[in-house]
Amino acid sequence: MTTVNLRPAGYGIVRAGRASFLLHRRSALVAVGLLLLLAAASVAYLCVGERFVGPTEVVRILLGQPSPSTFVVEELREPRLVVALAVGAAFGIAGALIQTVARNPLASPDIIGISQGAGAVTVAAMTFGLTSYTVLPYLSIAGGVLAAALVYVFAWRGGLHATRFVLIGIGFAIALRSLTTLFMTKGDYLVAQQAQIWMTGSLNGRGWDESAPIRWTLLLMLPAVLWAARAQRTVSLDDDTATALGVRLGGVRLGLVAVGVVLASVATGVAGPVDFVALLAPQIARRMTRTAQIPLLCSALTGAAVVVLADLLGRRLLSPVELPVGVLTAAVGAPYLIWLIVRSRTASAGGKA
Amino acid sequence: MSRLTARELTLAYEDRTVVHELDLAIPDGKVTVIVGPNACGKSTTLRALGRLLKPAGGAVLLDGEELAKLPTKRIARSIGLLPQTPVAPEAITVADLVSRGRQPHQAWWKQWSEEDERAVSDAMERTDVAALADRSVDALSGGQRQRVWIAMALAQETDLLLLDEPTTYLDISHQVEVLDLVRRLNRLRGRTVVLVLHDLNQAARYADHLVAMKAGRVVAEGPPGEIVTEELVRDVFGLTSVVVPDPVTGSPLVVPGAPWRPDTEEDGEPEPDASLSKPLRG
Repeated sequence: MTTVNLRPAGYGIVRAGRASFLLHRRSALVAVGLLLLLAAASVAYLCVGERFVGPTEVVRILLGQPSPSTFVVEELREPRLVVALAVGAAFGIAGALIQTVARNPLASPDIIGISQGAGAVTVAAMTFGLTSYTVLPYLSIAGGVLAAALVYVFAWRGGLHATRFVLIGIGFAIALRSLTTLFMTKGDYLVAQQAQIWMTGSLNGRGWDESAPIRWTLLLMLPAVLWAARAQRTVSLDDDTATALGVRLGGVRLGLVAVGVVLASVATGVAGPVDFVALLAPQIARRMTRTAQIPLLCSALTGAAVVVLADLLGRRLLSPVELPVGVLTAAVGAPYLIWLIVRSRTASAGGKA
Repeated sequence: MSRLTARELTLAYEDRTVVHELDLAIPDGKVTVIVGPNACGKSTTLRALGRLLKPAGGAVLLDGEELAKLPTKRIARSIGLLPQTPVAPEAITVADLVSRGRQPHQAWWKQWSEEDERAVSDAMERTDVAALADRSVDALSGGQRQRVWIAMALAQETDLLLLDEPTTYLDISHQVEVLDLVRRLNRLRGRTVVLVLHDLNQAARYADHLVAMKAGRVVAEGPPGEIVTEELVRDVFGLTSVVVPDPVTGSPLVVPGAPWRPDTEEDGEPEPDASLSKPLRG
């Protein structure tokens, strides 16, 4: 395997046998940086809690050495960390794909109705007495996929129109949110409270069993995500140019949306609609990598980092009271995104939408 | 011989028919220019020739096969097309954009080859944008940007190249530059080129084969020297003009009638010539 620097500028080429892959060099560096950040955040996450466990101790436990803190770290904190990582990565990828297809940085699963669809079905199930976190995710997935399918069908007019897609999605989001509110007022007080927490996005009480759907989905979707990372490149051009270059736009877009919707729905099913992660992570990642399209891997890593840091804060900020992770994701991501936008304002010329 | 032909081609947007049963054969190895007044269906026809628009009736044939039935990627290896107003992703660099022209020759496991490298460098040199390689497309002037887009279409390395008004937004020297580039490609590389142009005189200068359209139908086609006459200009554009030989190329040069003058209205009877003179856009 060799790496040669040719055109297009900023890319390196990775060869393996007869295959060759383009690698954006800055993205690769950003990804390495994010991985380091994520590793540090994860260790911190495992250290902090009601009882502090030192970082060296945590690393030793992770390497399988016996320790008196093994139970706290491996049985209590690690499962929840894994959920945080998986949910963050899934939201990051989902947001990136939906923003790419909608050609709109404001489009994300929590804006165009996917989270609301998942929410409506989940809250409905809760009102009817279904409260098990091993069953709810599947209902939530069904709700999200169904909502997305409806939005897609209604936005279709001899082809997918990006603006229509976003507007119809927003319409559905509002309608579904009302439906959710209706269910919550119908249900009894305790159910409404549980639903309210779920709707903010919470990782509380999520263990290995609860995270099984998201872990399996991420694993099974891996080939699709690898395909999407390449396919994204072509749909970032305008429709005519992309078609002229031999891209089957209809199919590619449907594929990208499908991958995004499944990931967003499953993540919502596990943790609830954790606000802003899908919206913020891709935009932060893109500004760091400075690529023409939204970088998928970096979006996933950014999403994971935001959720892990937000949950770490949520657990400790008002300790012993735990804040749901959704309350803090925006607080973690938004200032950084605003800073990136302000910093780049002088650099970008022209007011392109 | 014609690899690309249209047979009884009818084109419509929603239920408004724009082109009616058009028969057209694009001569191989030549520069074909389609001209006509605004809304005559010339760009629509070009879009259909490049499968951007599905025919409402009839068909476009590539090597005798219906375009609508061919895989789009296979078409993209034979037909390159530059739309009228292409949109680049935000903050993309010149080299990155040009390299996307290689899309139809690549696959998931074959994202970059020596052939890609050669084609992209070649296209960038040919269009004189190699020096801009690392610049952001957003930051370029209109002329530079157009050359970058043409470079992208060239990097596709297709035998047929369709360009929709490639000279719009360019000043006259850049217009000439683009048209000369097109001709060079045609003469040295044997590429078949189809252009939609607004400027009748440029069309007459650069076309081997001129197609004049009006209201969705072909009014006349052939070498410009044979078909561009005062009658044709009046018929197609509704413009009174004088057609003289171009002092440089000898191709027909359309000179519109005298412009409006205040004294023509003092008699209360404006000269018919002047009132008909609408400037050509271009």
